[in-house]
Amino acid sequence: MSRPLELRIPFRLGEVLQEHVYRQGSHEHVIFGLVSHSTRGNSTLLLLRDLIPLRESDYIPNAEHGASWRGSAMFPIMEAAMERGLGILIFHAHDHAGLPGLSRDDLQSADKLIPMFRKRVATRPHGTVVFSRTHASGLVWLPNSRKLEPLHRVRWFGSAIIDFDCTTKSNQESAISEVFARQALLLGKEGQAALNTSTVAIAGAGGGGSHVIQQLLYAGVGRIIVIDPDVYENSNRHRLVSAERKDLGCPKVDIFHRLARKIGLGGRVQRVRAAIPDSEAVQALLEADVIVGCVDTLFTRADLQEIASRYLIPYVDIGTTIRPLPDAAGGDPRVVVSGNVFSFIPGSFCMWCSGFLSDEKLKLEQNGPTRGYFEKNNQEAQVISFNGLVASQAVTEVFQLLTGFRGVGLSKADLEVPGNGVFRGYKKFDGVAGTLTEWGGARRSDCSHCRENLAAGDIIFSPVGQTNAA
Amino acid sequence: MDPQEVDRISAQLTTVYGDSVKVGQDGQRRLVQIDKIELYPGCSPSHTAMLLVLDVAQPKPLVFVTPGQLLSNGRPPKNSSNILIAGQTWMQFSFNIPWSPGDNVIRFVAAARQRFAQNE
Repeated sequence: MSRPLELRIPFRLGEVLQEHVYRQGSHEHVIFGLVSHSTRGNSTLLLLRDLIPLRESDYIPNAEHGASWRGSAMFPIMEAAMERGLGILIFHAHDHAGLPGLSRDDLQSADKLIPMFRKRVATRPHGTVVFSRTHASGLVWLPNSRKLEPLHRVRWFGSAIIDFDCTTKSNQESAISEVFARQALLLGKEGQAALNTSTVAIAGAGGGGSHVIQQLLYAGVGRIIVIDPDVYENSNRHRLVSAERKDLGCPKVDIFHRLARKIGLGGRVQRVRAAIPDSEAVQALLEADVIVGCVDTLFTRADLQEIASRYLIPYVDIGTTIRPLPDAAGGDPRVVVSGNVFSFIPGSFCMWCSGFLSDEKLKLEQNGPTRGYFEKNNQEAQVISFNGLVASQAVTEVFQLLTGFRGVGLSKADLEVPGNGVFRGYKKFDGVAGTLTEWGGARRSDCSHCRENLAAGDIIFSPVGQTNAA
Repeated sequence: MDPQEVDRISAQLTTVYGDSVKVGQDGQRRLVQIDKIELYPGCSPSHTAMLLVLDVAQPKPLVFVTPGQLLSNGRPPKNSSNILIAGQTWMQFSFNIPWSPGDNVIRFVAAARQRFAQNE
């Protein structure tokens, strides 16, 4: 049996790719992708890092073929792949809906080109992919594999997650349980079905995380991975929703495992009693369609951001801070309640681009006493209603990512905040005013974290002196 | 350290540890993994993988071992914790060995290994 094989395409590259392959003209348009990969057990992710189009002058007029191009056009592509140690995928499209097929020409090209690619970079996958407007088909050679493997799914990231399946699904409409019927009026039947089959990982099952887990279970998310190393303590009792007095001393993850059974709407909780970045926690995160971070420290956020960037997983992060101002003048607010809901769409701006994470802030956190969300210390206030508000917004962001209920699109315009020149994904919470404002952000071209981590996949280790070549 | 120093260290490690040395690149960092380093009697497990991160932005190599490594007293080294490096979890531990450009990395690795002989 072939192994599940998924290609992930970050925001912005997806738009470029579609714009190129669907271009009309006297021939099909071909573009080459440079990919890293990650293998876990029986499944492999292909992660698109860059695109190199053919120039119009590279094509050879040939009425019998969809597209023919000069062999010399391949040199810069193979050089780039070798220099960066990446695989090569050949992309083109057939402009129709439904499952596309690789033509005899496509297969002949792949037969000729993929061995050349393998010879140059033996440690990464190479293949050929054809898109229609709704589906994709592809064949990929994986390192250490003797034959080409079929692609199972292409996942694009835009204003929502957009999946192109590589098989046709039955036309039978999925039946929505009466339980979710009113929710499906907003999310749609397909959206509800997407929730039911999705996996969301929650890092941190504390004051914020408990709200998120509870809401996702009621909404019908199929699998929730709860990651938290701690036990339930007296000091958690005023804010950990769904916990009971008898749970004192129990691992928090067990409380939510029980909650899933009590709610009984089909959602399963997978317990991971570990901290980020323990191996068990990292492995679990990689199985998620979306990660929700409800953690205390910036260091943990930096780790979650790296995993999300590296393996192209959307990441929604929440946090609040409440600071009493005992010296406030009369008439001034006596407290600052602030927070963030940060949604990382792979390929859009990251926490480093936005300045939310910086080396200076991490250094401050490391050296204390300002460990934590903004300036957290052991005496920081925690209030259930503020946690609940940002948690609810995080769940709404998860709904958008999984169902696209606010709209689905891959283009810049689909994520832009109108008139602001920034992209959606960073909301600021003011608990005193009771507002949640779209702040937005933009990817910084000089962000070294995006440059090095985005779609980087697994590091390939080779013996010293051995090149990528076979 | 400069790129030549990175190459020199990688080559030195290969000369001594041979086939058990593997190298990967993560942006500007070179990651050198030694698959098996024998530790001191009583350490559990009795051997570990070791990762050296050679970064042109850092003055000296950074050293990590496989997570979960225990000393012979059954405890993890003091001030140790897990850290994410290029998507993989490694264990960092307190370790302060002086390093000057041109130093012998094999002595550096031996000193890191020596850290696991101390029960603290």
